[in-house]
Amino acid sequence: MTSSNAYVLYLVFALGGAAIYFLLPRTGPSKTAIGAALGVSALVGLLAVSGMKGSAGGSGGLYFYLFAAIGILAAARVITHPKLVYSAIYFVAVVVAVAALLVFQEAEFLAVALVIIYAGAILVTYLFVIMLAQQPGSPIYDRRTREPFLAVLVGFILMATIAGRIREFPAQSVEKGLLTGGDSGTVSTASLPVGNTVAVGAAVMTRHLVALELSGVLLLLAMVGAIALSRKRVTSDALRPPHRALGQIGKEAEPF
Amino acid sequence: MPPAIGYVIVGAVLFALGLVGFLTRRNLIVIFLCTEVMFQGVVLNAVAFARWHHHLEGQAYALFLLVIAAVEAGLALGLLMLLYRRRDTLDADTWSLMRG
Repeated sequence: MTSSNAYVLYLVFALGGAAIYFLLPRTGPSKTAIGAALGVSALVGLLAVSGMKGSAGGSGGLYFYLFAAIGILAAARVITHPKLVYSAIYFVAVVVAVAALLVFQEAEFLAVALVIIYAGAILVTYLFVIMLAQQPGSPIYDRRTREPFLAVLVGFILMATIAGRIREFPAQSVEKGLLTGGDSGTVSTASLPVGNTVAVGAAVMTRHLVALELSGVLLLLAMVGAIALSRKRVTSDALRPPHRALGQIGKEAEPF
Repeated sequence: MPPAIGYVIVGAVLFALGLVGFLTRRNLIVIFLCTEVMFQGVVLNAVAFARWHHHLEGQAYALFLLVIAAVEAGLALGLLMLLYRRRDTLDADTWSLMRG
């Protein structure tokens, strides 16, 4: 990436930061129109720069721009929408867009797993908790944010740092990877006769077996922990039936 | 210019958006949604670099990231329910007793 491109990126990130700042929920007069205009221009600039010289080419092409735009817009809505349920629904759009981008990166198994795990399991859990813990109306902590300018500044600094390093991104893969050296453990995405699922499964079950077992243990621990966290205290009195004298049982019930 | 760079930039933007939301929103559930957005950015980055290096380490790593995300969501939501029952609010500022 040439240095002028990096400066364009700085400008784009500044625009995007300003857009997020205006779009965040606020108590005063809403400035969503300014924010939306800034955000759309920043998005167009970002896609133009990131797709320059066919950098997205070969994998995705036009669809890369489409799903990148959907993902970024939906992510912006997740963090700026004042209503909780809408944030969760927009997050589903982020997940679907990222899954589509993963398909272009030849990670079909991960794309499907992402949709199943995130949109299917995690989001349903989130929605359950939202339904359980939702308050009537729109509470004040959803309509006001904490230090929006400083937060946007931190995000801009992070993005500017990354954009500054992008110039040093080497033009092509220099190390051929540990696994494509032609030894017995060759698992390469380029020359796979088998599908991506088989290849990922083989990689996980051979070289990452300990990590796989540990993640199973981790899931079990998380399940125990979640149950332990969310249980209710039940006193022993509540479990015992109320004591009544023998002749009084059923006397307090109203007859038909 | 390598083909992965567009994906890397999109992943970085997702991560930064999640970070901004994490820092500035006050609703506990939105804060955890923002961590999930950051996870999406990291997964996209890992897979893009896996493709770039022509091997599957990044994809295996992203798979374990999914496990961590699921564990985090389960524990965090259990914790949220606990906090909500104590104070009847999802405001993160309610729990600022240890603020310096």
